[in-house]
Amino acid sequence: MFKKIQEWFDERIGLTELINEFNGERIPARGGWAYTFGSLLAFLFIIQVVTGIFLLFYYVPYFPMARNSTYFLKHHVLMGNILLGIHLWGAFTMIFILLVHMSRVYFSGSYKKPREMQWVAGMVLFSIVVILGLTGYMLVGNENSWWTINVLDNVASHVPLIGGFIRILVKGGTETSVLTMQHIFAIHVWLLPIVVIMFIPIHIFLVRKTGEQGMALEYKNSKLPDDDVNKWKHADATVPFFPDQLFKDMIVALGVFAVIYFLAVYFGAAIGPMYRPLALNFAPEADWYFLANEELLKYFPGHGLIIFSTFLVPSLGFAILFALPFIDRGHERSPFKRPAATVLGILFLLLLVYLTLIGGEPKAPATV
Amino acid sequence: MTKSSEDSPSRRTFMTVVIGLISAVIGVAVAIPILGTILSPLFKKRDIVWAELGKIDDLKKIKPLTPKFIPVYFRVKEGWTINTLPRQVVVVKDITGKLYFFSNQCTHLGCPLHWIAARQKFLCPCHGGMFNVLGKVVGGPPPRPLYRWVHKLNNGTVLIQNKFMDNPKDRGV
Repeated sequence: MFKKIQEWFDERIGLTELINEFNGERIPARGGWAYTFGSLLAFLFIIQVVTGIFLLFYYVPYFPMARNSTYFLKHHVLMGNILLGIHLWGAFTMIFILLVHMSRVYFSGSYKKPREMQWVAGMVLFSIVVILGLTGYMLVGNENSWWTINVLDNVASHVPLIGGFIRILVKGGTETSVLTMQHIFAIHVWLLPIVVIMFIPIHIFLVRKTGEQGMALEYKNSKLPDDDVNKWKHADATVPFFPDQLFKDMIVALGVFAVIYFLAVYFGAAIGPMYRPLALNFAPEADWYFLANEELLKYFPGHGLIIFSTFLVPSLGFAILFALPFIDRGHERSPFKRPAATVLGILFLLLLVYLTLIGGEPKAPATV
Repeated sequence: MTKSSEDSPSRRTFMTVVIGLISAVIGVAVAIPILGTILSPLFKKRDIVWAELGKIDDLKKIKPLTPKFIPVYFRVKEGWTINTLPRQVVVVKDITGKLYFFSNQCTHLGCPLHWIAARQKFLCPCHGGMFNVLGKVVGGPPPRPLYRWVHKLNNGTVLIQNKFMDNPKDRGV
């Protein structure tokens, strides 16, 4: 029976050939587990899209109602708390795994020629996922959302020349209002996910186009010197994507999803109080992935220097990350044979962790 | 009988140009109204309204150098709704009896300030900005002193406008 259906399709569209073409990609054999983060991210994105679509059955993007509809979803919809929890913890996990994936690519030098464009496409995805996280935080409609919207569009207003316009455009007007929520909603639910859906295939297509490239340990048998481009063209051994690599991908996906599910069921998503613009002792808090930037904002006092923390340092950081494959152009891949890049990377990660750890602490009130 | 592009290179160029032009025309035609809807907020005037704060005689009785937080409610048009925007007015009387009407928004990035009575300072819970009771920056990253609401006196009643003085870029609010 199944055979017949398969033959019916093969006669017309060559389905088996198509599936074999997709599944047969050769993957370098040794680093299997290190290569699972990419598919893990694709998996997490699908989870976000699916849970997000069904959250929309209840959510209302209107400032006085957004928080209450989220509250209703969590407390009065059957298993709504789990759905909401998966969406929240899935988002956190996605941002964390993105950082892991980026670090892995960075330290193993996988962004080097001929894979520069993969890195750039990946950076586009990274930037968008961070904005998706921030806009999601705003959509809850609680007190933190209200202040996050205000703080972030004030940050945006410090972009030279066009800052004031950007601020009005993202707010949809001069006040934080109905239109602000509607704009953020459209950006979070339609605009950015569609860009992600466009860039994931580009990212994967580019990876497949350049073929079997991997970490330095895949090329131990090669007699060629390290600075020879040809050395990195053929790994010592490869395995097909299906089932060898997908088997590992699925095990990792299951493990990570189990953690997300556990966090969703036991911790859920905290909704917090309704926004109160009149509150006198409310201290807004950012999500963990924004704390490093939050800490940065505490420095650079005064009128002339504020632009460093709101615009120059973050955009310079992103620019350097985008341009990384064009800055570091050596052919050496092993992290042990390019100590400068490795040490800089480790220092940057330590700085990020340090800023994140102290970023949650308000600086001045601690001195009271 | 039309020629195929394989017969004539000029025909091929012509077709390529026409394909490109059609795409460009449709793309621009769709992009113009999209740009219009995105940029529309830039062409809207801010709805500036007055709200009552209280009698000037009552306000003059507050203790000097002790901020009093009084909420005002602006009824403004926002998009297709008329909404009430509750905002805090921080009334401060200095030793000469002059009244100041500050906003409780930090001038750094707009977080709500806390009044710490023991320190006689406004503190920003977000990035550690510090202001003294008369709104001067005494620590942290804020680039300017506290915003002061535009206000006027009308038959003994203080009216507040949803606009800050000396704020050309309309920050905060």
